[in-house]
Amino acid sequence: MTFTAPALGTTDEPRTIKRSAGLPDQLFRGLARGSGGVVLVIMLLVGTFLGYRAWEALRVAKGSFLTTAAWEPDSHHFGIAAVLTGTVLIGLVAIALALPLAMGTALYISEYAPRRVRRTMVSLIDLMAAVPSVVYGLWGAFFLQSHIVGLSRWIATYFSWIPIFKVHGAEPGDPLATTTVYTSSTFIAGIVVALMVTPIACSVMRETFFQAPVGEREGAYALGATRWGVIRTVVLPFGRGGVIGGTMLGLGRALGETIAVYMIISPAFVIQPRILENGTNSVSSLIALRYGSASDFGMSALMAAGLALFLMTLVVNFVASSIVARSRSGAGTEA
Amino acid sequence: MSGTLPAPLPGPRVRAALAALALVTLVLLALVQPVPAAAATYVPISGAGSTWSQNALDQWRANVKQYGMTVNYNGTGSSDGRNQFRNGTVDYGVSEIPYGITDSGVVDSPPPRKYAYMPIVAGGTSFMYNLKIGNQRVTNLRLSGEVLAKIFTGGIKLWNDAAIKADNPALAASLPARRIVPVVRSDGSGTTAQLTTWMSKQYPSIWNGYCAKAGRSTPCGATSNYPLVPGGGFVAQSGSNGVSGYVAQAGNIGTITYVEYSYAVYTTSFPVVKVLNAAGYYTEPTAKNVAVALLNAQIEKNSSSPKYLTQILDNVYNGKDRRNYPLSSYSYMIVPTKVESNFNAQKGKTLGAFAYYFLCQGQQHVDNLGYSPLPVNLVEAGLEQVRKIPGVDVENINIKNCHNPTFSADGSNTLAKSAPFPQACDKKGPTQCATGTGGDKKPTVTQGSGGAGSGGASGGSGGGGTGTSGASGGGTAATGGTGASGTSGAGASGGGATPGADTAGGAGGAIDPDTGQPIAAGAQAGGAGDAAGVGTGGDAFAVPVSTSGTISGGVRLALMVLAALLLVAVTVGPPLLSRYLTARKQTS
Repeated sequence: MTFTAPALGTTDEPRTIKRSAGLPDQLFRGLARGSGGVVLVIMLLVGTFLGYRAWEALRVAKGSFLTTAAWEPDSHHFGIAAVLTGTVLIGLVAIALALPLAMGTALYISEYAPRRVRRTMVSLIDLMAAVPSVVYGLWGAFFLQSHIVGLSRWIATYFSWIPIFKVHGAEPGDPLATTTVYTSSTFIAGIVVALMVTPIACSVMRETFFQAPVGEREGAYALGATRWGVIRTVVLPFGRGGVIGGTMLGLGRALGETIAVYMIISPAFVIQPRILENGTNSVSSLIALRYGSASDFGMSALMAAGLALFLMTLVVNFVASSIVARSRSGAGTEA
Repeated sequence: MSGTLPAPLPGPRVRAALAALALVTLVLLALVQPVPAAAATYVPISGAGSTWSQNALDQWRANVKQYGMTVNYNGTGSSDGRNQFRNGTVDYGVSEIPYGITDSGVVDSPPPRKYAYMPIVAGGTSFMYNLKIGNQRVTNLRLSGEVLAKIFTGGIKLWNDAAIKADNPALAASLPARRIVPVVRSDGSGTTAQLTTWMSKQYPSIWNGYCAKAGRSTPCGATSNYPLVPGGGFVAQSGSNGVSGYVAQAGNIGTITYVEYSYAVYTTSFPVVKVLNAAGYYTEPTAKNVAVALLNAQIEKNSSSPKYLTQILDNVYNGKDRRNYPLSSYSYMIVPTKVESNFNAQKGKTLGAFAYYFLCQGQQHVDNLGYSPLPVNLVEAGLEQVRKIPGVDVENINIKNCHNPTFSADGSNTLAKSAPFPQACDKKGPTQCATGTGGDKKPTVTQGSGGAGSGGASGGSGGGGTGTSGASGGGTAATGGTGASGTSGAGASGGGATPGADTAGGAGGAIDPDTGQPIAAGAQAGGAGDAAGVGTGGDAFAVPVSTSGTISGGVRLALMVLAALLLVAVTVGPPLLSRYLTARKQTS
């Protein structure tokens, strides 16, 4: 290699790179940027609209909006303490049930199932996601409820020393005790929402489990690992982002689930952490229940509740995305 | 898969699909063809509102399909119906209460658009319940208004409350110590408005006391949103279907709700409470009783008033007729009288034709659904209201041809005239009819039933033992002393059998241990007093016993462990055994 000496008198400066993106490139970039921007603008507009409409109610309620449990907007006595707690509890119950179910299903599909079964399973799960939520609601309210009460009762009888499983008004020793105390509860709503959340969480997880690198898998097998060993050391660490992402996506849907919850629960405007007991509430079902018959001020109060849900979902999603970003697939194993 | 491949020419499959599509279209066209030519001129209309009258509306909507009318209806509750009509999102609304009622201090303002009320159907707000004694459903429960008001305000909490026993002498000894679970509407509802109007007018102190506890300002008055006291043990469900479906669930014993009679009779086949009226009789909201009751309704007669044709029910609550059902009322359709928002003359044509249908022919069979037909004066007024709908093809209906069961030549209400008077056993007092109510007509037998001794069985189904024989039985059992205790222990049959199987008193059956009065009290002269019925009573009501000790903790734990072990053995045992056997076979 020989270098030609630079001509005298010229200083050494980098060549300016002239980007000559073609028209198609520019168009595409514009489109992509535009779509991204539109999403942001829409979110902003939704937030602004909710805030604007909620202002009238928030101005009246002030800080008590966060601490009041009752919902009597026409008497100016309302707040989201009860509905927000209910929303979070239903979401948590749903996730607690959906996470193992979705993860188990995803692992079976990606690791154990024979090829033909796998295809059937995948389409079945997609079908589960396609069932409208009102159907889940009907099923939950008219079928599941009467059958699950026995389980609720059993849990309440033997685990009532755990505060959340306590049921006020339950008398396990009395054969004439009403079973209605176990109906329309956070638990039952949570089960139904879990079934609705599972398919989404499952397909996100499945995708990431499939992507666990073949090299590592075969390496583990070569070192004598069992299939479970491979899952534990390769698939799960690589799929951690997917698991978290799927769960959070599911939680987002669970928090906003409306009609199925609306059909099952018996709205209670009190902070009620006992998940097996009759009576719970959620922001979205409150809105569905009351918007039809709301006065102008009541509507504003509902908007305020909607704003709270909107903000909470935003926070959940931001936290989720930051977790997912920090633990990119396989980040832990590549280190 | 083939869909993803580029197909430059339509393949045979695509052509076949196109052919199939064409065929389907042809068939559909052929099906549509027979509909009369007029059908094409009806545009679809949509409405929303009351679930109280939804069963009747749904039937009418299905019936007018044959004329080519598409009438959509969304049972979202009366409050929502009024709101949607006010906002112009629906062509008609249906509501039990008019605009302008103050609810929680807020006036439900009338819509800016022009509108009119039109009565569509009458009915009774009934109290549907799910109660079992032992294994038998109670179908003849009767309650006074005050007890009902106390139940729905949390004042009476147990089914064996003394006030409920007083209303139900035949059930008094066997009513269980179950909790009463009132099921109320969670959405804005006209049914709730009807119930709360009644409570606020008839029992203001009970109602206002409850309202204050629920955080509403008093006096509470009528409200469409039922106030709930946290921890009160109430259950709230949305829609009439929601509350009646909840009560009808097999496990939800002890629940009671308020809902139109139709949902008990037609939708769920459940019994309803007979409510005590001002004449001292317990009545059921049958079509005829409702018709009688509504003779007392004050209808706004001033046709220039915005509330023209709306109802004031105060006199219905206290009607003095023996057949009066106190919670009877009309349901209203709110129709537009001017072309505005998205209402137009074409829609008016459909709405008018639909209204003509349900005001005339539609009334004919509503009693089968659990409603009561409109009386002639309201049908006439309604027909006048139809003329106000813009775009309507005015018909001159001869209401004689409507076959409305209330019509008569002299203008009186035939249905009310022909309504049977209640039986003597429905009178407030020590007797109680055993006959079922609502959608469950099975009698509630309070003594030996099904396969019991012949005398007992016939007496039981005939409405209980006769007064005389029962009373003599009471005397016998009371003197015996052991007879009374036998009753409370093992049911009616035991009671009879203990003191001596050949006494007539034993056949009389259940004797109240406290009073010595016969519990089974019938009006009809049944042959229950005969000795034939002695001692063989089948599943009569077991009288509730205290159940403090079920199975003690230690035994229960041992049983649980045993069950778990058995489960493990049953699941793990067979494979282990088979593996062991095959292993032995291979080695040998």
